[in-house]
Amino acid sequence: MKEIEHDSRNNLEGIKGWLNPSRYGWERISYWFQRLTGVFLLIYFIGHVYETSTIVNGQNAWESFLELTQTVWGHLFLIMVIGASSFHSANGIRLIFTHVGIGLGTPSRPDYPYSPSSLNYRQKSGIWIALILSAAAMYYGFTVLFGE
Amino acid sequence: MERHRMLKESQIMKIHYITGIAAIFVVAVHILMRLIVPFGSSLEYDYIISNYKNIFYVFILESILVLISIHGFNGIRIILLELRQNKAWENMITIMTISATVALIAYGTRTIILANGL
Repeated sequence: MKEIEHDSRNNLEGIKGWLNPSRYGWERISYWFQRLTGVFLLIYFIGHVYETSTIVNGQNAWESFLELTQTVWGHLFLIMVIGASSFHSANGIRLIFTHVGIGLGTPSRPDYPYSPSSLNYRQKSGIWIALILSAAAMYYGFTVLFGE
Repeated sequence: MERHRMLKESQIMKIHYITGIAAIFVVAVHILMRLIVPFGSSLEYDYIISNYKNIFYVFILESILVLISIHGFNGIRIILLELRQNKAWENMITIMTISATVALIAYGTRTIILANGL
């Protein structure tokens, strides 16, 4: 099948378009958080793979690297990772359901004030569930990391 | 002009979703391994080395490495392709993300193999 080809279709707004808060709604916040947490988690994952690689250099190398993370700031960073991963997972599941058509509702006539039927209570509940799960996971992480 | 691609974007999205869902399960096992003993003890050198010698756990670690590397770098590819679309950019981003995925998997696998032999 032939695809329509364009020389270039640059997104004119780019990252500024992401960051423009004047058009934020539920979906937009979730869209932005999903990408933000995804990038953050990938950076953490690369750092984590590097951090764990120090174990092959022996016990001293492992323990000295571990000391860097076993601080208040290290624990707070880990709590951010817990929150980001919980939100990214829960919201990601919502997005998968949405992509296959679950939770979108039935198509309806566009009447004033033109609220999109796809952004219904199911979608909003999904975003809220992701946020609440994320907060609960962060609280649990806090009790584990600071409760020692 | 007809374009020849190994995978359609819809197939790549399926891979993205499958790796994401699978990663949730294996990361859950990884976290549980930290929580079945006191968190501080779970990071002790001997405990970590014993983890690397457990073949079931090695399989989990390698799965996490492969699944999250594919899912994460494909996510970066999607974000970068949202910002700009043309053939040269798309090819460059695809090559860069595949290279980064392979490099990260290779580096993590090296740690798993070496730690298993300690």
